[in-house]
Amino acid sequence: MAKGPNKSMVLRTIVVWAVMLLVTVGLVGGRLVYIMLIDSEFYQQKAAEQQLYDTELRAERGEIYDRNGELLATSAQVWTVYITPNSFKKVTDEAKRNAIKLEIATGLSSILELDFQTVLDYTNKNTSYVKVKSNVEKPQADAVRQLIAGSKSSLGTYIGLDESSKRYYPNDSLASVTLGFVGSDNQGLSGLEKQYDDELTGIPGRVVAAKDATGNNMPLSYEVEVAAQPGNSLVTTLDSYVQYVCEKYLDQAIIDNKVTERGSVICMNVNTGAILGMAVKGDFDPNSPFTLSASDQAIVDALEGEEKTKKLAELRNKQWRNKAVSDTYEPGSVFKVVTAAMALEEGVTTTSNHYNCSGYIVIAGRRYNCHKRSGHGGQTFINALQNSCNPVFITLGQRLGNKTFSKYFEAFGLTQKTGIDLPGEATPVYHSVNAMGITELASSSFGQTFNISPIQMITAISAAVNGGYLVQPHLVSEIVDANGNTVKTVNTDAKRQVISEQTSKILRTMMEAVVDGGGGKNAYVSGYRIGGKTGTSQKLTQILETGQSNLYIASFCGVAPIDDPEIAVLVILDEPHGDAYYGGTIAAPVGGQILAEILPYLGVNPQYSEEELAKMAVKIPYVTDMSVSAAKAEIKAKGLKYRVVGEGDKVIKQFPTASDSVQSDGVVILYTDETSEALTVTVPDFTGLSVSQANTLATDSNINISFAGASQLLKGVISYKQSIPEGTKVDAGTIVTVYFRTTETAE
Amino acid sequence: MPENTLRKNSKKHKFFINGKMDLTFLFLLLVILTVGLIMLFSASYVYAYTHYGNNYFFIAKQATFAVVGVGIMLFVSRIDYHQLRRFAIPFYIAIVILLVVMLILPPMVSGTTVKRWFSVGPINFQPSELGKFAVILLLSHLIAANQQLMKKFTFGILFLGGLVGLVCVLVVLEPHLSATVLIFLIGAVMMIVGGIQLRWILGGLGVVAAAVVVLLSGVIEYAQDRITYWLNPWAAPVGEGYQTIQSLLSIGSGGLLGRGLGQSRQKYLWVPEPHNDFIFAIVCEELGLIGALIIIALFAFLMWRGFVIAIKAPDKFGSMLALGLTFQVGLQMALNVLVVTNTIPNTGISLPFFSYGGTSLLILLFEMGIILSVSRSSKTKAKL
Repeated sequence: MAKGPNKSMVLRTIVVWAVMLLVTVGLVGGRLVYIMLIDSEFYQQKAAEQQLYDTELRAERGEIYDRNGELLATSAQVWTVYITPNSFKKVTDEAKRNAIKLEIATGLSSILELDFQTVLDYTNKNTSYVKVKSNVEKPQADAVRQLIAGSKSSLGTYIGLDESSKRYYPNDSLASVTLGFVGSDNQGLSGLEKQYDDELTGIPGRVVAAKDATGNNMPLSYEVEVAAQPGNSLVTTLDSYVQYVCEKYLDQAIIDNKVTERGSVICMNVNTGAILGMAVKGDFDPNSPFTLSASDQAIVDALEGEEKTKKLAELRNKQWRNKAVSDTYEPGSVFKVVTAAMALEEGVTTTSNHYNCSGYIVIAGRRYNCHKRSGHGGQTFINALQNSCNPVFITLGQRLGNKTFSKYFEAFGLTQKTGIDLPGEATPVYHSVNAMGITELASSSFGQTFNISPIQMITAISAAVNGGYLVQPHLVSEIVDANGNTVKTVNTDAKRQVISEQTSKILRTMMEAVVDGGGGKNAYVSGYRIGGKTGTSQKLTQILETGQSNLYIASFCGVAPIDDPEIAVLVILDEPHGDAYYGGTIAAPVGGQILAEILPYLGVNPQYSEEELAKMAVKIPYVTDMSVSAAKAEIKAKGLKYRVVGEGDKVIKQFPTASDSVQSDGVVILYTDETSEALTVTVPDFTGLSVSQANTLATDSNINISFAGASQLLKGVISYKQSIPEGTKVDAGTIVTVYFRTTETAE
Repeated sequence: MPENTLRKNSKKHKFFINGKMDLTFLFLLLVILTVGLIMLFSASYVYAYTHYGNNYFFIAKQATFAVVGVGIMLFVSRIDYHQLRRFAIPFYIAIVILLVVMLILPPMVSGTTVKRWFSVGPINFQPSELGKFAVILLLSHLIAANQQLMKKFTFGILFLGGLVGLVCVLVVLEPHLSATVLIFLIGAVMMIVGGIQLRWILGGLGVVAAAVVVLLSGVIEYAQDRITYWLNPWAAPVGEGYQTIQSLLSIGSGGLLGRGLGQSRQKYLWVPEPHNDFIFAIVCEELGLIGALIIIALFAFLMWRGFVIAIKAPDKFGSMLALGLTFQVGLQMALNVLVVTNTIPNTGISLPFFSYGGTSLLILLFEMGIILSVSRSSKTKAKL
């Protein structure tokens, strides 16, 4: 019989078993405990990093509306179309592969309006991803999807669409500087977009999904989705039409007066601080904020290397900069309204006090000239504001003293930022009470040697005319959530009362006198009571820096209706280099033009005086299809002239057409047959004429004119501009707008 | 007292035997096999679906082999294991010839330079698998037949060591390092238990230690990369270290209780071929530390029963046979888990009863049948 294992074998077997137990339980078990308990978190995290894909869900950026609910900024869904050239490698048959590439290149190039060869080259790239076009809008994106769906070559393997969002500004450059713009990640970079970025952005959602090693979703319920919360929308105080009007006239004024350092217009409700319009030119199109204007681009293109980069950055920053808020200036004579307010409130003068201007005043041994070197002579305080007489305001400043002056200066909000809801508001620079000596007081009294921002200036003027209340200028009136519920409403309460209602009332009268018969005449608007003050400040710092002498800021601040103020308009033209640079000559007409358009729009009814009514433009009657005799009678009855062309006895066409407005004595051309050719005339030079000269010339030329500007004042107004250039061939009867202004403005 | 010769011995034994087999061993084995199949399915279905479009691609084959294999096992358990003894020498010679032929012939599995696979029709198997069995069978036979010579250096070390070494050399040339290590260790353990002198054991341990030191020192270039990426797999997260890293991420993700059966994320194509050598990583991820330790405990119990069968075996041949085969299963399991946990450098060792491989499973179950056969003849009086 065979024997079983001997003692030694049993013993050694047990030892082997013990060693194996030690290895398995000890080493293996210990190692597992180490990995799975002690280091577990590290490995779990590493595993999660590779398995879990955290996708951010875009939160729709809130919209920006004007006060009437018109869209100023919105976000639209757009797509990025891309192809994956590496996936062509899966197609082994070369002929088939080329056919697919051809199909893609043909389809995409026609849908996306790209060059066929470019797209074909993309398909031949040796990469896994090529962006074909970004910011593709819905119709085109849908067409790409149809291309994929309609093909037999399963194009979805090679073409893909990624959704994203693009900011749209439907009005292009309108209010661009105020609205601002967004960066590539839709983050607000300037203007309201930056100021309210947190409100507009919303809270992005997330999708966490588990994916396998090839990037496909695991078919398990690992997916967790947290929905995105769309951003809130802004309802602004801006009015698209008011904004448009402000920009239109500002733009024109910049061109007409060769303004080199841009200009700005603020249109504000004097009682609430609501900004109806805030225009800065030259601005940009927020839809492509990095694009420079053609002239700026030319400057950049002429440079090389680092200089070019620097200039590009400089000009971009310039076009984005909100001049009305972020830049300061010496307000000059516009500020005299504030000095007047102090003087009246403190009782250091009355409206009827008499002053004598000899053309200069000497303060502490220093001579201060009046802009009128010959002097204004004897005048009341009302005249002094009309004349913008420096010595009078210097005198008042001295009477007030530095303490009182500084007290009011601060009370009018000129020592601090207004707190308007825009980024980058400039900090004012001024003489503090202790640093304000007699001479500093003297120059400050007429608005020089201190710097404030335009928004501060218009806010102070508003306080002067609205009964004395310092309001909070603001652009956003309401924040609403995505469902239209109001999240926040802006409080429009005044900050404080600076001067009495009585003083404010006197100031209104004085400012009306400035427009009616003083330095602000060019802001006159027929049918409306306008108050205002002009200003022309020398840019002393820049003059010292550059050595140029003709650097001015021309400004005008108008208020209407002056008997019960609602609107203030501040126009600033920085460095005009045209034939005039006085605020009263070049800025006041802009204020007048703006007010003339927006006051009727805002529902302020004109109250024409008889004199005004007599000079009003006439609406052309509808006389087409009438008999020639009846038409003649109709036209004559309106105080117009006529001219008949043709042999027929019935009017078949008239020019100008009905409801166009022309000055009385205008001419209507009546065509009575089909055969006669249209009567053409050449537009003459209408500039440099008085109103009656212009009328005569128009009649002689068979041209109609319509007056703009301070035309109703008759005395001393001279035409300086016409809407159709001299020498243009036009149909007889064409209406040419002729702009008048007085050059007899104080400064 | 010397045992009878092979010829006499085999004549004495009937072909079938009827003793009671070790039911504990059988039970543990079936539990391990069942758990193994379940885990194979869980680990493989994503890979199977991705590459073959069929979730059941691996499990269907493996389950079929398992059923056939269990049948073979039960059948073999009824055959008197002494019948094998006459094949010990011829089988060893046949395997040596097969291994030599394999080295001469070009690789039989296209696309590789390794010659470890042998193809017969649709069946691919590794001769090294049979090599292990051949060594166990031969050593069992020789040790049992020449017990008195074991203490002699010429027989116990030189002759037996030479026979083991010959197979090792042929296998390492394929090259199939992990099988070499297995065969070497199995042979060594059988020689140790078989009765070689203590000092040779110590000497052998010294040689092994020296070999490890040489390998680690980087003298052998072939092993250098493996050792570098073993020590720091993160050095090549998408290259050589990828498999190890993915395995560790999978194991570490398991934590104490695991993600739950079927919930592995790493099997979603992160762990390469999760149904093969790295199946235990998926087991850890799904069943957690507790589950992994229970499975290791099952193997430990199985080993214990196998060793008990060896100790209770009626003769030295049966004892050595049960010892060698049991040790083989335990060793493979231990080395597999050590590789999967990056405790030792990455070598291709499959996890018995878990990893996918039909012929391998058939051979394994055939071997388990032999252990059961030994248990049927065991001395009931033996304690333990």
